[in-house]
Amino acid sequence: MIDLPVIQTHRLCKSYGSVQAVRDLSLSVRANCITGFLGRNGAGKSTTIKMLLGMIRPTSGEGAVLGNRIDAPQESVELRRRVAYVSEDKRLYNYMTVAQTIHFTSGFYSDWRPETAESLRRKYELPSDRKVKSLSKGMRTKLALLLAVARRPALLILDEPSEGLDPVGVEQLLETLVTQSAEGTAVFFSSHQIEEVERIADQVAILEQGRLLKDVSLDDVRRCYRKIDLVFSSQPNERDFQLEGVDSVQTSGCQMRVVCNANAEDVIERARALDASEIEVGPISLREVFLSAVSETSRALV
Amino acid sequence: MLWYKAWLETRSRFLISLLGIVALPCYLVFDQNADAQPQTPVNWYYHALDNGHRLIVVMWLAAAILLMMGGVLREKATGTISFTLALPVSRMRLMLVRILSGFSQALVLMVIPWCAMYLVSIATGRATSLSQALFHLVLLGAGGLVFFSIAVLISSVVEGEYTAPVVTFGLLFADIAGLGQSRYHSFSTWNFMIGNEYFNRSTQLLVGIPWLHVTANVAVAVLITTAAIKAIQRREF
Repeated sequence: MIDLPVIQTHRLCKSYGSVQAVRDLSLSVRANCITGFLGRNGAGKSTTIKMLLGMIRPTSGEGAVLGNRIDAPQESVELRRRVAYVSEDKRLYNYMTVAQTIHFTSGFYSDWRPETAESLRRKYELPSDRKVKSLSKGMRTKLALLLAVARRPALLILDEPSEGLDPVGVEQLLETLVTQSAEGTAVFFSSHQIEEVERIADQVAILEQGRLLKDVSLDDVRRCYRKIDLVFSSQPNERDFQLEGVDSVQTSGCQMRVVCNANAEDVIERARALDASEIEVGPISLREVFLSAVSETSRALV
Repeated sequence: MLWYKAWLETRSRFLISLLGIVALPCYLVFDQNADAQPQTPVNWYYHALDNGHRLIVVMWLAAAILLMMGGVLREKATGTISFTLALPVSRMRLMLVRILSGFSQALVLMVIPWCAMYLVSIATGRATSLSQALFHLVLLGAGGLVFFSIAVLISSVVEGEYTAPVVTFGLLFADIAGLGQSRYHSFSTWNFMIGNEYFNRSTQLLVGIPWLHVTANVAVAVLITTAAIKAIQRREF
């Protein structure tokens, strides 16, 4: 059985005056997996998430979350019933206590799990009678996470969830996300912490200047992506390596790095044909894939 | 649950307002008992209704504006808007609950002080008139609805944590000092609320509830409130 995507967008755009925050974004997020949404500051990640949740309207294009159209107000209410969201700043109502916040949120969801909420409250060491305004950012993040996962959502969307957390908090967060995914919740989270994404994500979407640069599985990155470092006797021509499967080519003097998502053999063969004195092929980390994709886009736009 | 939130958000402001708006007019009525004024019913009514009612109107306006200080745009300023808008409720429902809870509190802030003032009058052996009290309440209610809806509208279009009440107080001042003193004074909501237009000069009592004016005020308030709801529905966050 093929699971329908939990998030599906087609040529989604958002402009603020002359600034295009999101451009022609066609994204498909699978159910039953953890998807990392990577991008630099201002890449359009938060704007995309806000469009998915109906907080802002797309300028053009269309999208659906769990089969509900994001630009239809009534469907947007329905999708928010099944989607949990942890926002970037994790602000909650200062005038409520932790217990009141939990009580308030539980009232909106028929499948709220009080025992899960209580066990997470103990695990995260959140004092029931403490006002939200006196919680640290890390504790607010944990409370927001508790509110999101205690209701068995079909999809969990998190915007920079680890920001403000200490290393122990980050571990608890990642553990919670993996547990949620194992229980059948699709997880979609934005981050600039590439190591966190690499640790838990199954799929990665990279956004740069509002455009989707890559939408790949981490298995593919590990299996097919390679970095090939080459040394030549004179400065090589980058055009010689514009082959199928090549993601980026960077030259520094007589040295060259080629990042490819397939056909590493063709690149090696071309390097040998051009008398490369050294050829070193190795696996590539997600950080390198990200930096290579982003720098290639930046160069193309210069 | 939205009612629960609205109550937790406004209860301090509401209870402090209620305490003040009950205590000061009651003290005014009680204290007057000790003054050696000619104690005819007319004088008493004039004093209690004019001064007491005026004080209630001023305090009620301040309280209503502060009560409606919250709302979606203020939440944007304080950063909680993402949490609120991610709840499975429509913006229309968010607005309606906020308006209705604010209206209920505003109604309590109208009725309780008048009842308290009325009871103090009875307790101190002063002359009382239920019909006059109700007349003043009608004026306060109908005129108050306009300012209440203006407070809702401004808090729905003006961003900033405290900007909306400041702007609303500015408009109130413009109505009192500008419109109320001009030749268009009969259009002043403030004048309508304090009942200046409806005093009988010989009896110094209010006569004949101005139902047309009351209806016009309610209609204006409904229009303004509808505009506020539309503004929030269209707004991007």
